[in-house]
Amino acid sequence: MFRYEILFLAAPEITKDESEGIKNHFSKTIRSHKGDMISFERWGKYKLAYPVNKNEYGVYFLTRFEVDAENKNKLLESLKEAFVFKFNNIVMKNHFDRLDPKGSLEYRRPESLEDNPQDVDAFLKRNEMEGLLKRGPVRKSADRREDKQAESQSVAILEENEDLDVEEDND
Amino acid sequence: MTKKIKLKISARLLKKKFRKKSSGLKKQCRFTNNADMARDIDYKNTDLLSKFLTERGKILPSRISGNASKYQRLISREIKKARIMALLPFCATEY
Repeated sequence: MFRYEILFLAAPEITKDESEGIKNHFSKTIRSHKGDMISFERWGKYKLAYPVNKNEYGVYFLTRFEVDAENKNKLLESLKEAFVFKFNNIVMKNHFDRLDPKGSLEYRRPESLEDNPQDVDAFLKRNEMEGLLKRGPVRKSADRREDKQAESQSVAILEENEDLDVEEDND
Repeated sequence: MTKKIKLKISARLLKKKFRKKSSGLKKQCRFTNNADMARDIDYKNTDLLSKFLTERGKILPSRISGNASKYQRLISREIKKARIMALLPFCATEY
């Protein structure tokens, strides 16, 4: 038995239907080659170390499967073809790696932005500085009316000035 | 009368000896006697691998990190895999 894993990087706009489509395609092809799919995991959204296809963010997926020695090469070829021809719009990068079939399946992965959001607001909340949080502008209806009046006045003044300029030009 | 005993070793030689001792300390590899830690070397485990990078994203030499050559080879291979998958930078400009 051979055990493999595929880590692939998808564009950040990937939807649930598209990811499930990839999962179904993988499970079908692996089953047709008499293999076993062990896992299909979505790691979450990540900030990439460098922009890939002009995307600063991406979503990682990890799949693991087992195959016999006879069907190994055909299965790997068909999976690589799928990345090149079928999912080339969604999947940006892929990496095939061979694992030890008797080793444990545990691994460590970096924290995603969904597990640990790194916005300014989240940072302030974590460090108990909620007084600095920006709140949306709360305005009363009276303020809005005043603003509208001020805008209309400024527009009128501008129009008058334009008229003056035209007269000066004529002189 | 007690004779004054002169120091046979001069100050220059003492300094030289001290320098030899301080530079001659061997760094120990953190993986050789720690099988659990060596098992964690993987291209997905970027928290561990980023310890062996400089601020600019270059791989640290074993002369500084103290790794045995076996594990240095393993780590550099895994870092290169992680770089291809955009988990680690080829060249970090921000620091």
